[in-house]
Amino acid sequence: MLSQVFHDIEKKIIHSLQPDQILTISEIEKKTGLQSDQVRRGIEWLKLKNFAHVKESTDIHYHFGEKGYEAIENGLPERRLVNEIEKGNTTFDKLKPILGLDFNAAIAYAKKNNWISITKNEKSTELSLNKDHQESLEEKFLLSHKTLEKNKTNEIKVSEDSLFAIVSLKKRPDFIVDSSLIIKKISLTVEGKKINLGDLSHSSGAIDVESKVPEVFVARTHPLKDTIDEIREIFVTLGFSEINGNVTQSSFWNFDALFTPQDHPARELQDTFYLDGISAKKIATPEQIRKVSESHKKNWRYYWDIHEARKMVLRTHTTCVTIKHLAENKLDEARIFSLGRVFRNEKVSYKHLVEFHQIEGVVVGKDANLRNLMGIQREFYKRIGITKIKFWPTFFPYTEPSLQTMVYNERLGKWVELFGMGIFRPEVTKPLGITKPVLAWGGGIERIAMLKYGLDDVREFYNNNLSWLRSARKCQ
Amino acid sequence: MPVVELSYIRLQKLVGKVTKKQISDSLPFLGLDIESENKDLIRIEYSPNRPDYSTDFGIALGLQGLLRTKTGSIKLNIKKSKKYAISVKSEVSKVRPFVTGIVAKNGKIDDKTIKQFMTLQEDLHFGIGRKRKKSSIGIHDLDKITFPLIYKTANRNFKFIPLNSKKELSISEILKNTDVGKDYGSILGNSLQVPLILDAKQNTVSFPPIINAAVTIVTTKTKNLFVEVTGINKEDAEDMLSVVATILQSAGFTLESVQISGAKNSSPKLEQKKMSVSPFLINQTLGLNLNNSKIISSLKKSRLDASTKGKNIICTIPAYRFDIFGPMDLVEEVALGYGIQNLEPILSPSQTLGQKHPNSISLQSLSSIMTGLGYMEALNSSLTSKRILYDNTKRDSSKIISVLDSKSLEHTILRDSLLPGLIDSLAKNIHESYPQKLFEIGTIFNKTSSVTEETHLCAVSSHKNANFSEIKSILQSVIQSIFGKTCETKTTTHTTFEKGHVANITVNGKIIGIIGEISESTKENFKLRESIVSFEVKLHS
Repeated sequence: MLSQVFHDIEKKIIHSLQPDQILTISEIEKKTGLQSDQVRRGIEWLKLKNFAHVKESTDIHYHFGEKGYEAIENGLPERRLVNEIEKGNTTFDKLKPILGLDFNAAIAYAKKNNWISITKNEKSTELSLNKDHQESLEEKFLLSHKTLEKNKTNEIKVSEDSLFAIVSLKKRPDFIVDSSLIIKKISLTVEGKKINLGDLSHSSGAIDVESKVPEVFVARTHPLKDTIDEIREIFVTLGFSEINGNVTQSSFWNFDALFTPQDHPARELQDTFYLDGISAKKIATPEQIRKVSESHKKNWRYYWDIHEARKMVLRTHTTCVTIKHLAENKLDEARIFSLGRVFRNEKVSYKHLVEFHQIEGVVVGKDANLRNLMGIQREFYKRIGITKIKFWPTFFPYTEPSLQTMVYNERLGKWVELFGMGIFRPEVTKPLGITKPVLAWGGGIERIAMLKYGLDDVREFYNNNLSWLRSARKCQ
Repeated sequence: MPVVELSYIRLQKLVGKVTKKQISDSLPFLGLDIESENKDLIRIEYSPNRPDYSTDFGIALGLQGLLRTKTGSIKLNIKKSKKYAISVKSEVSKVRPFVTGIVAKNGKIDDKTIKQFMTLQEDLHFGIGRKRKKSSIGIHDLDKITFPLIYKTANRNFKFIPLNSKKELSISEILKNTDVGKDYGSILGNSLQVPLILDAKQNTVSFPPIINAAVTIVTTKTKNLFVEVTGINKEDAEDMLSVVATILQSAGFTLESVQISGAKNSSPKLEQKKMSVSPFLINQTLGLNLNNSKIISSLKKSRLDASTKGKNIICTIPAYRFDIFGPMDLVEEVALGYGIQNLEPILSPSQTLGQKHPNSISLQSLSSIMTGLGYMEALNSSLTSKRILYDNTKRDSSKIISVLDSKSLEHTILRDSLLPGLIDSLAKNIHESYPQKLFEIGTIFNKTSSVTEETHLCAVSSHKNANFSEIKSILQSVIQSIFGKTCETKTTTHTTFEKGHVANITVNGKIIGIIGEISESTKENFKLRESIVSFEVKLHS
């Protein structure tokens, strides 16, 4: 066994208990000269180290109550009733005023003892004594305490003879009261008894290296940010360059440039956050506006309104950043990605946030094709640790063909939808002067982070709940 | 995404010899998501560009193709008839200029079929009808109507018995007192005249785009149907009609034509259209090397017809497939017919070198500096509430940026500072042990003539002995390590901070932020007790 280091308090307590004393706290106080809180603390330490036992026992003490003393003096109500009947007071009417509040109890116990008989006639209720009305056990017990002084601290001694009377009298209110006291008795364990206080190693100035210490918490980057950084890293290593753009965007780049008609249900207030009273002054070049509006008029057959395109929105996807970048730079060969917050006007729930992060990427090149797009997805998922994936067709207004990735969530035991992808429609690229095929994909990052951190409620990422942040594993 | 409820047993009857498993395996490859399943019933999410998938009749047509019980294009067999005609009065041109229609005979209608027709109608109204504004549809019991019909206008005192009513109501009453009237009345604007379809006996058939007449209601006893579509342009109205005609034919009805004339209206043709696509585009886009016969068989599985013509493939597209705009849409149809599950992903080496945005690099290192100083990273929404951003902190709300009609009361305005959100985060953690030190790096929004965005860093420290010197020490080392510069703090006042314990942060004489002790009253508003010190600085815009 490693040598133990003991505090002075512990040493004094051990000393008082060796070789095999069983003491109460106050007895230890007396023997050691320590304060009671010092003793208490020392015992706790020794208990934690398994050197001391604390055995708790409960002592019950009995005293006479107000009524008890009254009965000692005047007799129990049922005895007083018997005495009155003997005096000739035999009707309820006469007895009630004499016995007062004790009347009901007197009748009940006298009947229970079978001392009296009750006969009812028209005028009154008559009582008569039965043959046997000898002294009861309760009375005997009370009489034996005739000399007891009326004092609350006077304890009743419990003996085999008196136990029945005590239990029976306790049922009557305020005859006998009890009080319980918890007594802690402290003794040393087998290990405690073995301690040799003479051993120098216990007092060589060493500290208790095994004791508990206050908790400190790591400061860390946010778990969601870690996931975002990890995803950014993956795309950089796959040859993609990051671009940034504004969170607030004109409807033109968020919707019109992406072939979403102005009367499309997705553009309505219920799905999109429009900024109150804020419109963009300059949205795009006159040529871009003209060509985009022409594509809408031709394909969707409606009146295209530039005021609608000027309305500022909180971007519903990061695709607006990408398409603007492509329209401005007219790249022939490129791998680009964008990461950031996007917004949907939805009711907040464990599944939905009004604001979440999206990763979105594009590949531009004359040889960009659907199988390559699927290959990039598969490689990305592999790198974040998801290998069970499949592709399903789906629909987006601005891509054709369009696919979605389904990944298998082992914990939920089902396929869940992750990234959407496709090739930008000619109706999107042509008006903006983009001539090469553009593979595009994107999706929510929170969904991936939920898989990584095993969360079922997406709101947890924005609660800043310190108990979670302080405990969430850094390396997943 | 819209949802439709289907029955496997009904689908099996419609598709032909296929198993339940074949159906459930194939649905996703039509682009349909199974939302939930309960014994025979399945709820399916479909894309808004495919209104034909709003009924089991339409989904069955798609499944037949994929499962090869029937392939190729669905041709409409419309019997030319002179019995049915609608004449259009020129007065409708101002309110709802176009009407079109078709007759469908000898069908069997049970409760489930009526339900499918209703979801179809709802989908058409909501999607391509743009909430009935662009076009709307009415389905009637043909035998309750005497032809020819007239499409005209009436004034708002005109009365008839509308669907779901027992007594006559005036147009004004319908618009004011019925649910559909209230929901769609605005489409008619303030026009005194409203569109109306009357039959030869002057009985009302329909008051488009609001409600049908009660007399023409379709029940399980109905055998013959009359369908009318009205709208603001002819093409959209006929697109809608083509979906209904296709579905009704698939449901076992025989179609007969309706003649339409007057005020630039004419009878619908519902013709198939031809489109050419090059095999090169198909193979280049999909990354495949399919020969023409494989391409043609794939298109047929997608319920289109195709043949080789010279170097190209000519595709025949039925009228109801108006979601096909151009050759790229046909590429997708080939992919679907070929089977997405048969496309093997490939990873080509990158021709480009990747790099992070410079801002990301500097913000990542700032995060590690802050954690190194013992601060935990927090994330708050950019959309917040007036209570947190302005009321509790007593900040100036004159440049508030609100969003319209938010569904969440906690997310109604854009933050112009990170500090209120972090104080609120402290308020959510009063039961956790102190000291609590948090930081956030994020975008804030300023109202100018439009909106400008800035990136800020904010830090808060809260514990019993938190004080100005502590947070200024942190600030100094942060500014030193990100800008390589020293900063100064100059006395100022701020409603969120304690008077005499707050300063502007300046670097090279320019104010870049604020630092101080949070005031007692701010703490009270957030029900916080421990002292809080904080700084917020602008990083870049």
